Amino acid sequence: MEAIKNALDFSDSPKIDQMVALAVFGLLLAFPLFPHSAFAMATMIQFLMFSLYGMGWNTIGGYGGQVDLGKAQYVGIGAYTTTVCLLRWDIPFWVSMPIGACLAIGWSFIIGYPLFKLKGHYFAIATIATSLVLKDLFEIWKFVGAARGLGILPFKYQTPDFLRLIFKEDIYYYYVIFAFFVIGLLYMNWFRKSRLGFQLRSIKDNEEVARSLGINVHWAKIKTYAIATAFVSVVGSFHAVYVKNIEPEDTMSLDISILIALMAMLGGAGSLWGPIIGAGVLIPLKSYLKEWLGAAAGLLGIDLIIYGLIIMIISAFEPRGLWGIVAKIRRRKHI
Amino acid sequence: MDILFGSIASGVLLGMVLSLVALGLTIIFGLMDIVNFAHGEFLMIGMYTGLLTAQATGIDPLFTLPLAAAIGFLLGILCYGGFIKFLLRGPMIAQLLGTFGLMLVLRNLALLFFGSEDRALHHGLLVGKSFDIGMGIIISATKLAVAVLAVLSFCGVWLLMNRTQLGKALTATALNRQGARYMGIPTERMNALAWGIGSATVTVAGALIVNFWSVNPYVGLVFTMIAFTVVALGGFGSVPGAFFAGLVVGFIMEIPGFWDFFAITFDIGWMADVPMTSFKYTWIYVAYFVIMMISPRGLFGWKQ
Repeated sequence: MEAIKNALDFSDSPKIDQMVALAVFGLLLAFPLFPHSAFAMATMIQFLMFSLYGMGWNTIGGYGGQVDLGKAQYVGIGAYTTTVCLLRWDIPFWVSMPIGACLAIGWSFIIGYPLFKLKGHYFAIATIATSLVLKDLFEIWKFVGAARGLGILPFKYQTPDFLRLIFKEDIYYYYVIFAFFVIGLLYMNWFRKSRLGFQLRSIKDNEEVARSLGINVHWAKIKTYAIATAFVSVVGSFHAVYVKNIEPEDTMSLDISILIALMAMLGGAGSLWGPIIGAGVLIPLKSYLKEWLGAAAGLLGIDLIIYGLIIMIISAFEPRGLWGIVAKIRRRKHI
Repeated sequence: MDILFGSIASGVLLGMVLSLVALGLTIIFGLMDIVNFAHGEFLMIGMYTGLLTAQATGIDPLFTLPLAAAIGFLLGILCYGGFIKFLLRGPMIAQLLGTFGLMLVLRNLALLFFGSEDRALHHGLLVGKSFDIGMGIIISATKLAVAVLAVLSFCGVWLLMNRTQLGKALTATALNRQGARYMGIPTERMNALAWGIGSATVTVAGALIVNFWSVNPYVGLVFTMIAFTVVALGGFGSVPGAFFAGLVVGFIMEIPGFWDFFAITFDIGWMADVPMTSFKYTWIYVAYFVIMMISPRGLFGWKQ
């Protein structure tokens, strides 16, 4: 009970934040009622998914300060578990999602134990390496469809199928991922005030001091890594039933890992609202740039050039992200 | 036996080029503790420079190296002055993602200008020529020339780093930035110079590699990972370490060849069934992981 009360308690953030958050919540809840294009809907679902990925990354990368660039492997584990369970044994989503999360967490413990002996750049590159190894394995593993991947055929199921999460209309997916989003946000609100949350922040500030205070640094990192993994794997499972066609290249590539880290960093790593702000800015920007410049104007790759330039500018001039800018303005005005 | 000796020979030759690929990364890393994700993209630019100059002017691709070096040097200085300088003030995560942004920009600029198709060299003095040195080893003349030129470039940079005043200043900056500044070494200029030299070596390596490797805008990532592995193995910042580590990684890349040798020689059925060539690059990632587990500062660690 105490935990639920803590999760619902946002009273430590300023009044204006609470108001804005409530307004955004209302808008997100009502979004499908407004007239919208299918493209806008897809973008919104992407935004919610990447907010969740970003929240997961934020636990280890933001609060813990461990730059993890290998999250895509857990997207892959979640997505593949759900798809394989559905196609081979007709196991519904609500069962296969926890299975996927357990597999992902198990794998995260296996590689997390050696990984967290490393620090800084060495850790970041090692996470990339593990992710790419897993991707290479999936690309030749015939059981999961090798490089061509797996596809769920929606016409084989009677839609709307709430057990397997197979729908024709995106609005159902929207509300499912929105529910996940709310749960994820409440969890993060609890997490930042939890014992582990405080331990992580002290590890980020100074590992030696944290150790001398009796914190088991290695174990705290591994635990948090598992939490981050669970977030990513659950959204990966959702990705599988939503996109219905998964292949190693678009679930497990390095670009996905970087994108996940970028959400949190652009918004402000180590803050509650950071990943949501980051995803809210970056995902619409990315998909509309691609739609307007890449596809319409026929200029190949120009959307990614602009996108890369934005990353460069943000990381060079405002490394604490958009939330850092807000905090700076506040400090100046003493609001 | 042919496969075994052939694999060894090609592993050695490839390794010499890979040392040159990683040299730039290790110099930059040694000097300012920044990991450059765009390293492979610099290589890609070198490859396109070699390819396009050779195709436009009709001269042999092996003679395009000075141009590639000049372009790489300018690109490195430009990147440092216009971008990396600001990045260095921020936290580590900003550095990682910032160079990733640079990688995205360079890769997609290449995509915009050159298109996504694979391009390869089909002409040149040495293309297609090879010689048989017995025991079934057939060495293509291009690969040999490329390896020799790579070693020469490597030695050039080594001499620059160890035998000139400039190189000593660079090393001093890497070892103790504060101390170097007190001694009157312009450390800021040294950083820019390190980026210039680092990029020049990798574009030269690119212009060499294009002689036997086709180029497309996405070729960079795998070379970035190779370079990371070589640098990890050789010790972050160590120049001689990079050379030996390059040779080792060359052998790692030839693992499919050794695998085939064992499968055929000892007639092991299950070994022949494993599609080892799909794992060509996987071993590099595994090697990085294992090396870091054994020795988190690199095998021939240099700076503590």
